[in-house]
Amino acid sequence: MTREDIFNGVQDIFRDIFDEDDLIVNDRTSSDEIEDWDSLNHINLVSAIEKEFHIRFALGELQTLKDIGAMIDLMEEKLT
Amino acid sequence: MNEYKLSNIKIGLEESFSVVIDSSKLDKFLDISNDLNPLHVDNSYAKEKGFDGRVVYGLLTASFYSTLVGVYLPGKYCILQSIDTQFLKPVYIGETLTIAGKISYINAAYKQIEIQATIVNQNGQKVSKATIKTGLIDE
Repeated sequence: MTREDIFNGVQDIFRDIFDEDDLIVNDRTSSDEIEDWDSLNHINLVSAIEKEFHIRFALGELQTLKDIGAMIDLMEEKLT
Repeated sequence: MNEYKLSNIKIGLEESFSVVIDSSKLDKFLDISNDLNPLHVDNSYAKEKGFDGRVVYGLLTASFYSTLVGVYLPGKYCILQSIDTQFLKPVYIGETLTIAGKISYINAAYKQIEIQATIVNQNGQKVSKATIKTGLIDE
């Protein structure tokens, strides 16, 4: 799975969770830029990513993530 | 009341309970919600529209999803986050409903669990189904 594949899958998850079909995210997108990205939706995002990509995160891994790019980097490590 | 913690919850864990729907429950729900729709309060109107009688409020039956997670699975340490539900068949006064839930997913990092739940009537017909997400405040 390429980084682009991962990114596209993550973008679809963001569109689903935030109920915006045309939402565009990029590597630098963070919770500061999406109004509804609160703590509960953050949990829902992580759960959706775990289920879609069949991976599991530890709390320590998630606490250091600053933006979507960092999340995708972590996912890439787990998927290769 | 059950007291499941994250450490003793596994995928596939199930709990269920049953309840009889009597007219007093509809009256109390009406008092709380003020939903005066005749389908729920007027027996003749409901029959005219093709139902067997007053239709039990969908959200009254769905309120038992709250009981399912708050009392049974996981119970005491539950904090309800979302319920995505569908109402599949009408429910009538006098029916016995069995509410059941099964753990389908565990997010260990954030202590969130997902429960696939159903409500089945005394004839074995599924009247409602739901996907429920709850957190666990067990520490």
